[in-house]
Amino acid sequence: MKLNIEDIKQILPQREPFLFIDEVLEFEEGKKVVAIKNITGKEDFFKGHFPGNPIMPGVLIIEAMAQAAIILASTILPKEEGKKYIYYLAKSNIRFLKPVFPKAKLKLVVEPLKIISGAGIVKTEAYIEDEIVARGEISFGRKEE
Amino acid sequence: MAAIKTENLEKELRSLIAEIIEVEEEKITLDASFVEDLGMDSMMALEILAAIEKKYKLRIPEEHLTKITNLKQVVNTTKEFFGKK
Repeated sequence: MKLNIEDIKQILPQREPFLFIDEVLEFEEGKKVVAIKNITGKEDFFKGHFPGNPIMPGVLIIEAMAQAAIILASTILPKEEGKKYIYYLAKSNIRFLKPVFPKAKLKLVVEPLKIISGAGIVKTEAYIEDEIVARGEISFGRKEE
Repeated sequence: MAAIKTENLEKELRSLIAEIIEVEEEKITLDASFVEDLGMDSMMALEILAAIEKKYKLRIPEEHLTKITNLKQVVNTTKEFFGKK
């Protein structure tokens, strides 16, 4: 199953300029999410990171991975009608393998390692084309708003 | 998997837990409370459970998270699930 930006906004509480998922290519309930963030080069952070030498900050790759993790978690964690949830990052253990430059399609893959009612640990990878640029694990929690 | 000895399991689990809670192994006695004595939080408890599952290829259900309280309990819980493997 695929998700478009409107579907994504139903799941993610983040909004521009801090929404780091543009589309979801694969959405396998409880098993896997493959998402895309298009890096255009017009993003504000490139102005400073670094002047004349734009490189996507690693922390923002983690953010994109974490947002993909929320989409995965939304397929597993039970939801109660009328309740809103906030997700928080508890730990990230990510290794960066290659730099990410503007005009790239950042592909984020997230799979569960352990997800319980209010928290989870996922395995995640980021790719440009088919080359891995970052990988690791992310732990997060969920609270009622 | 009956082959693993309790003392070896205890040693392996102590090392695994020390890494997650970020304390020295010596502080993890059998009865030291992870929360009160060693500063564990709920996310760390989940990480311990997930790390045990991964290391020993076990599947431990969520309700056993409450047993991640001290090393003795973790050893017993892990042994219990070895039996169910």
